[in-house]
Amino acid sequence: MVFIFGVNFPEQNLVKRSLETFYGIGPQVSQRIMARFHIHPTAKVGELIQPKILSINAELTNMKIENDLRRHIQDNIKRLRDMGTYRGRRHAMGLPVRGQRTRTQITTARKLNRIERDRRG
Amino acid sequence: MFPTRALCARSVWKGPNIVPLPIVRPKPGEKVPPIKTQARSATILPNFVGLKFQVHNGKIYNDITITEDMVGHKLGEFSPTRKNFSYKQTKNK
Repeated sequence: MVFIFGVNFPEQNLVKRSLETFYGIGPQVSQRIMARFHIHPTAKVGELIQPKILSINAELTNMKIENDLRRHIQDNIKRLRDMGTYRGRRHAMGLPVRGQRTRTQITTARKLNRIERDRRG
Repeated sequence: MFPTRALCARSVWKGPNIVPLPIVRPKPGEKVPPIKTQARSATILPNFVGLKFQVHNGKIYNDITITEDMVGHKLGEFSPTRKNFSYKQTKNK
C-alpha cells in the first residue's frame, strides 16, 4: 500500500488511475502531473520511489482539488443565487441552466442543479 | 488547452456592450429616480454600482439594485422573463 495525498492505494494500481480517483483530476491533469515528474504512463503505484511520491504530494496540496474544489463550485452557484440571476434561479429550481430543452431529458439537471450541490458531480 | 470559455462568448475587440443609458450622478441629499430601460443586453459596468434600474422583461419593469457582484453580467439576467407554470382548474368546460 502506498500513501498518496492521504489515501492508500494498492501497489498494483496504475499511477494514472490512482491520481484520477481524486475529484478534480481527470485524464488530462493526471497525464500532466505524471509528465512533470517523469513517470511512465503505465507505471504502477508500487514502482514509485519515495521522493517522487513526496513531490506528487506537494503538487497535489497546491492544486484546488477534492473538498476545496467542491466548495469553490458551491460558492459560485451560491453567488449566482444571491445576486438573483437567471442562472442562479435555474440552479435553485433544479432545471437546466444553459437554455436546454426541459420537455424531456433533464435528469442530469434534476440530479445536480441545486444551491447546495452535495453529490460527487 | 483552451482559454476560459467565458472569454469566448464575445470577441474581445468589441469590448463590453456599452449602451448609452441616462445615468445621472446623484448630488448629496437628492433622490434619483430609477433608470427605466429595455436594454437587457447592456453589460453592467463598475460605475453602475449602487444605482437602481428598472429592467423590462417584456411585460413589466423589474426593480434591481446593482451590487458589486453584478459587474460584468447583463441587465437582463436579473429580470426574469418567464412565469412559472401553475395549473388552474376551470369550472366551465
